Amino acid sequence: MARLELNSVGKAFGAVRCADDLSLVVEPGEIVAVFGPSGSGKTVLLRMIAGMFEPDDGDILVGGRSIVGAPPERRGIGMAFQNFALFPHMSAQDNIASGLRAKAKGGELTSRVTSISRLLKIEHVLGHMPRELSNGQKQRTALARALIGNPEVLLLDDPLRNVDAKLRYEMRLELPSLLRRSSAAVLYVTQDYREAMAIADRIAVLIEGRLVQVARPEEIYARPASVAVARLFGDPSINLAEVTPHTKQADLTAEIAGTKVRLDPVDQQAADHGPCWLGVRPDDLVVTRTASEDAIPARIVAITPMHERAVLLLRFADGSEWLAALPPDSPMASADDGVFVRFAPEAALLFDRATGLRVGLPHRRQAA
Amino acid sequence: MAMLEIKNVDKVYSSRGKPPVHAVRALDMAVTKGEIVALLGSSGCGKTSTLRMIAGFESVTSGAIALSQRRIDELPPAKRKVAMAFEGYSLYPPLTVRENIAFALKAQQLSRGEISRRVEAIARLVEIEDILDSFPRAISGGQQQRVSLARALVRDADLYLLDEPMGQLEPQLRAVLRGRIKGLLAERGMTAIFVTHDQTEASALADRIAVMEDGVLQQFASERELKNRPANLFVASFIGEPPMNLLETGVAPADGGFRLSVGSDIAFQIPGDTLDQAARRSLEQGNRVRVGIRPQKVAVGTGDVRVRVVSNQWLGDQSHVAGECAGHLLIAVTPNRIAARAGDVIPFALEPRHLHIFGADGTCIRHAEGG
Amino acid sequence: MDHSSLAGRIFRGVALALVLVFFMFPIVWILMMSFQTNEQILRIPPHILFEPTLSNYQALISGQLRTTAGNLEIPFMRNLMNSFVLSSAAVLLALLLGVPAAYAFARFKFRLGESIAFTLLSFRFAPPLLVLLPLSLYYQQLGLSDTYFGIVWVYQLIALPLILWIVRGYFEDISPDIEHAYRLAGHSWREAFTRIAVPLAGPGIAAAGLLSFIFCWNNFVFALILASADKQPVTVGALAFVTASGIQYGQIAAAIVLSVTPTLLLALYAQRYLVEGLSLGAVKG
Repeated sequence: MARLELNSVGKAFGAVRCADDLSLVVEPGEIVAVFGPSGSGKTVLLRMIAGMFEPDDGDILVGGRSIVGAPPERRGIGMAFQNFALFPHMSAQDNIASGLRAKAKGGELTSRVTSISRLLKIEHVLGHMPRELSNGQKQRTALARALIGNPEVLLLDDPLRNVDAKLRYEMRLELPSLLRRSSAAVLYVTQDYREAMAIADRIAVLIEGRLVQVARPEEIYARPASVAVARLFGDPSINLAEVTPHTKQADLTAEIAGTKVRLDPVDQQAADHGPCWLGVRPDDLVVTRTASEDAIPARIVAITPMHERAVLLLRFADGSEWLAALPPDSPMASADDGVFVRFAPEAALLFDRATGLRVGLPHRRQAA
Repeated sequence: MAMLEIKNVDKVYSSRGKPPVHAVRALDMAVTKGEIVALLGSSGCGKTSTLRMIAGFESVTSGAIALSQRRIDELPPAKRKVAMAFEGYSLYPPLTVRENIAFALKAQQLSRGEISRRVEAIARLVEIEDILDSFPRAISGGQQQRVSLARALVRDADLYLLDEPMGQLEPQLRAVLRGRIKGLLAERGMTAIFVTHDQTEASALADRIAVMEDGVLQQFASERELKNRPANLFVASFIGEPPMNLLETGVAPADGGFRLSVGSDIAFQIPGDTLDQAARRSLEQGNRVRVGIRPQKVAVGTGDVRVRVVSNQWLGDQSHVAGECAGHLLIAVTPNRIAARAGDVIPFALEPRHLHIFGADGTCIRHAEGG
Repeated sequence: MDHSSLAGRIFRGVALALVLVFFMFPIVWILMMSFQTNEQILRIPPHILFEPTLSNYQALISGQLRTTAGNLEIPFMRNLMNSFVLSSAAVLLALLLGVPAAYAFARFKFRLGESIAFTLLSFRFAPPLLVLLPLSLYYQQLGLSDTYFGIVWVYQLIALPLILWIVRGYFEDISPDIEHAYRLAGHSWREAFTRIAVPLAGPGIAAAGLLSFIFCWNNFVFALILASADKQPVTVGALAFVTASGIQYGQIAAAIVLSVTPTLLLALYAQRYLVEGLSLGAVKG
């Protein structure tokens, strides 16, 4: 099997730079999620690898051999599309078989179609035309078509976007083991950070055509490279405040809405840093009714239960708003209450205000 | 006092040459003043038809709708005193965002100062101050949706109808906007009904959720009630993310209660005193029932159900562990990281007190203790 | 929301009947005329009831036109045959050239692409007489004048733009990802074109073909100038009924009925495709 390598790939459409110096290696058997907001260049990247566009500069290699300039049919690539892209005038069976690129004939072809469709649980609909399939079945057929030729590189363009929530969840559980079976190098494009974390070995975060961070999911969640990355991971997303940290009697502090909060002393180097963004995840906030010196007074604007947690919209004295995600049965039950908000010093992330890059020492976030 | 009353409403779409479609069946619903209600269901369940009947874009086939004690189902939409945000936004293309929002206020004969004050306030709330002078075609889908919301919420109306109000919002803004809008509605005592297929949105915004399926109202209750005391199998499996684990079990009387078992691998002892009369009778008659347990109630690392791990996914704030046992896939959600890898065999704890039990017809005959 | 009140239904019926009469009247009248003799037709006031005669059709099929001034030979059946041959050949050629061109215009953005496509369409705007005069001179020099091939070629002015624009819209409606998927499965672009794009655009291609067949069939002025008697289609051939001894209304009517019937049947049979083809493809183009 072969690895997929991107070497400083660049592409522009007119004045818009969709891919800027992208370098990435995907090992055989590895699943790398390409994650980013819409319009960040994820689809263009996949399409350059598939051969629908050629990069303006840089090189794309599969197994050490450049595929730039080769027609799509000779690149050894399997792909599943967001809109399924099934051939409407062929049965599911013929759709899947077309992926065997005329390599296998007769008996072998049938047996491979049967085995892949059993794996994807679509044996019973093989005779149906695409319009007779549910969206879930369409997506499974498209996946089968992409997988059947044992491609060296597998590209999945947001394959779960158009299936309903329940199926999406099921596929999220099923996909990793299914994809690893093929030992292809897998690039998986998604707009859902949970999907990326659930499915991928590593996540490549793409923002405005640039790879801002490539790392393991837990690494990105705990130690985002920049404020933009931090905002993309987490629902509700991370709370931010503009602060200028400073040292006072060996304590590193910052002022949020008039309250001085203590920061982790290992972030000492942030002391001389000047203006920063301070970020705290909603589930790292502690909300109490008792005042204390480092607790920020706030008013609960609304409580919006979400993902089995109570999400509180808090408004501080200066009008800024933060969200806190508490366990569902916490006592902060009614809106319009005055409360006090605290967080552990090590829960705070600091980012440079100008560049957005994270400052200070690696954030420690212990997993139980 | 009921602000909106829907009494025995039916909606049948009939077109020549096709069998009539019964979109809404015998719907009874009362919404009190100041309440936020979600109509939740998958596509084709009748939720949008219901909303459109309240708004007046669809006629009522039979039944009555009353708003503030005033029968409205025969009135034209403009006379119903309802404000609506449309799923497709329906902004007026030749007007700027500001004019779009102010449009409905002009009919209310407010002073120019008052109009601009209100527009600015609602624009601040949904974060569109910087695009107030843009035209709809020049702004993104998410922004258009916020404008559409602002245009509905800025009005004075007896009832606010919102069709999929937040589906297109930017993910980073969604949680904050939900909070702000819920805060605004509560502060002003506005009554609102919104349609959504997204249960996260329904539970975040609504005081009560009406779960619909096949044109029939399945249950109308608070989010907590729907989760803790689902009326039937449909509601139980529809509500909750990830969905409830469901198992079909055999029933045998044991120790004054019942023993529910799946093969020889999983067995639950249900004490008799946790069952009411009807539930007992139902269990005595049926030899098979379905039981459900929420993934959040399945404990990992303890217990006597041994599962082979299929997947173990850490999402940053919770782990989703899927394990197979006796041909069933069980899902557990815990806030902790779990060390198991695919293929490992680990214990799951499924406590009998956390089980919902469903009878043969799908109705819930016993709820889990404390939800 | 409900418009089915009694008065509404009556009004709708009356309005529909009026429209129907307005559009159907000429067709019915022609049909009646074709079964009457010239004398019957020219009676004043005209009679709705008459004794039908097949003499007009007889005359057309035998090619013998009896007038007061004697017998006249008319090659009407040959004209009908010519119409068939010319229109079919023209449409076939236009499909062969137009479908690949439409695909190219739909899928590839190239320099002057839009201008070329529009130029082709603009042939439909110009009055045919504008090009006919120089064209007939060229044709005489090239030896194309009064040949089937020459007429088929000039018919491309009618058929090609139509096919190009309708089929192009169809190709644009097919998600390019479907073809990409087929190519990634190991097929060349030629195979993607013939096995995916063309079958999926089938209804559009059929509609465009039918429509241009009808337009070619109905053409008059090209054939009038460029073809002599034995290559003339029916549209031109019908002129022969205007004889020195008077206009043979009965035979004209019968000729019209005979020449309209094939296209009418074709249009009725393919009505669904035509409507789909025009509304789906052309509007988007």
